[in-house]
Amino acid sequence: MNRVAIVSALIAFLVGLSAATFSELRIFLPAILKGAVVTAQVSVLSIILFLFMSLIAGIGRSRGNTAIRWISTIYIEVFRGTSLLVILFWMFFVMPEFGLTLSPMVAGVAAIGLNFGAYGAEVVRGALGAVPKGQTEATVALNMSAYRRMTRIVLPQAIAIMIPGMSNLTIELIKATALVSAVTLVDITYAAVQQNQLHYRTIEIFLITVMLYYCLAQFVRFGGEALEEYFTHHLNKRV
Amino acid sequence: MDWRWDFTFDVVLPRMWEAAGVTVWATVASFAFALVGGLILMLLKTHRSIWVSRPATEVIEVIRATPLLVQIFFLFFLLPEIGITLPPLTTGILAIGIYNSALCAEVYRAGFQAVPKGQWEACIALNMSPYRTFRNVIIPQSLPPIIPALGNYLVAIFKETPLLSFVAVAEIMQVSKLIGAEYYRFTEAITIAGIFFLVMSLIAAFGIRLVENYVKRSILH
Amino acid sequence: MTHPMIQFDKVVKAYGALQVLKDLDFSVDRGEVVSIIGPSGSGKTTVLRVLMTLEGIQGGTMFVDGEPLNKMNMDGQLVDASKAHIRRIRSKIGMVFQNFNLFPHMTALENCNESPIYTQGKSKAEATEESMRLLEMVGLADKSGHYPSQLSGGQQQRVAIARTLAMHPEILLFDEPTSALDPEMVGEVLQVIRDLAKSGKYTILLVTHQMGFAREVSDRVCFFDGGKMVEQGKPDDVFGNPQNARLQQFLSKVLEAG
Repeated sequence: MNRVAIVSALIAFLVGLSAATFSELRIFLPAILKGAVVTAQVSVLSIILFLFMSLIAGIGRSRGNTAIRWISTIYIEVFRGTSLLVILFWMFFVMPEFGLTLSPMVAGVAAIGLNFGAYGAEVVRGALGAVPKGQTEATVALNMSAYRRMTRIVLPQAIAIMIPGMSNLTIELIKATALVSAVTLVDITYAAVQQNQLHYRTIEIFLITVMLYYCLAQFVRFGGEALEEYFTHHLNKRV
Repeated sequence: MDWRWDFTFDVVLPRMWEAAGVTVWATVASFAFALVGGLILMLLKTHRSIWVSRPATEVIEVIRATPLLVQIFFLFFLLPEIGITLPPLTTGILAIGIYNSALCAEVYRAGFQAVPKGQWEACIALNMSPYRTFRNVIIPQSLPPIIPALGNYLVAIFKETPLLSFVAVAEIMQVSKLIGAEYYRFTEAITIAGIFFLVMSLIAAFGIRLVENYVKRSILH
Repeated sequence: MTHPMIQFDKVVKAYGALQVLKDLDFSVDRGEVVSIIGPSGSGKTTVLRVLMTLEGIQGGTMFVDGEPLNKMNMDGQLVDASKAHIRRIRSKIGMVFQNFNLFPHMTALENCNESPIYTQGKSKAEATEESMRLLEMVGLADKSGHYPSQLSGGQQQRVAIARTLAMHPEILLFDEPTSALDPEMVGEVLQVIRDLAKSGKYTILLVTHQMGFAREVSDRVCFFDGGKMVEQGKPDDVFGNPQNARLQQFLSKVLEAG
């Protein structure tokens, strides 16, 4: 909570300072804020896909039958092994060859979500493996079904373990949304570049850009810390 | 989908081969920059004076919180404005290098912190010089966690180099886009770029595991 | 005709080349309280673990209440059991673990309610009523809203016993239930087990290092060594007049250590 105060004070100070110092702020700020809306849209949709893929592939790779395990492993290795920008271009330029033309927004969300989903799957897999073996044995002794075991016992405990890793990945994901400017989406980064080419105010424009990304990252960080607090409440031995 | 093998062999592969050289060079140069830059940032961050350590910490935080692409654009626009004209490739290497310096600084710091405090105390008790302390005791023990982490950043840098296509560096991604635009055929070039990254990453991951095992075995008996 | 409650027929359990159970034949009658003793690595815990289906076996057949557990009848032939078959038979068996294995994200009451509500399909009110009765029985009714992290080891183990009873097992397996406890908490847990043994409602298999307790509550004591049952008999015979040389050696070591 202390850090929220510090960050908001810092932001207010910087905004005031820029407004006072750089008179042209009002000229290029609206365009960049419009870009921030696009960045937020891409981020939210990608995060949903990222979390979904992480869970599916992470559970699939650690608990599925042989076929599911193979499919999950191939997905994870392919989407981690290639570069995000390559995946993005492939979605945007090559998918139409398969008869599937994606809008820039869909291509961006799909590429980012699938790429980070592959990293997230490994976080989920690690967390599932970190739930003590005795917990699974207790569910067998209580004759619980595999589905109940996962949803009632293993996942609730694994979620607490995976939150720090997933929150770091979410921050990386938001930074990675800058790449959607490659497929003509005008996000914060693209808007900044456009404004800079119009006004040649490199330092001010990029200062604002950095600030916006920094705020988004802090937002996720606090959310992650709150969630972690909530989920680990009873998991650790308290003295 | 139609895939043309003659186009792949006559046009795509020869031009990609050249571009692969640029990608590899950008990777190696950025990594070397990050190795040294990270060490410097780590030393500044752990400096005794708060007037050095505090700003260094903040700089690292800001660099880490900003998208690499934004930093590439920033340098690309800023340097000419302040009178420094560099080729786009050099600017790009600088940007990727600085970004990863901030990440490597954390790796070094974590590695040195992983050495138990008792080891430092033992060195003082044995009246060892700082040089001998680092050379003979601290570095050998902190390498096993540091080396695989640095290896992962090498792979990460490799996968970041396509960002240089934003500032028209003729690396793999840029060349495959150019081929696509010239011939109105994106499938072959972009797919091959993808396979190139996938194969190189898998090889690198395998190599890191080998090095990791080797370091563990040779340093910690 | 009567059949044993638990029967092992030439059961083999191996980890690679290492045989942990070697063609084990073993049976327990309904309502019988049997203690298994033996040195570590003798396979005594493995008996419980394979019966609970925590680990698979490489050969032989296990029967519970006359029905095969790891096999099932299909057209008059014994084939490998389906998951549904195993779950049906397994519902008769409850197990109490050395490390309790309570679910840390649930209160004592929720731990007890888990199986009745989600496996047996009871209503929450019905399950809660019975769970509270069981917690009362183990002396922890006032701790029902506590999380495992807020309970002592002895209390956790008693909740674990209540949780196991809530699923209405006919067979109770105790795997070194007091080994992970501080000495001053052993008594409270043994008292609960003693009451269960005396009630005559359960068939009990107990793996323990508490020789005095085993002698007191058991109808029969089995000594395991090297994956085989080397000697068995009435507690007074096994402890008072051991025949096998390794049993004699084992008992003298254990008694020496106190």
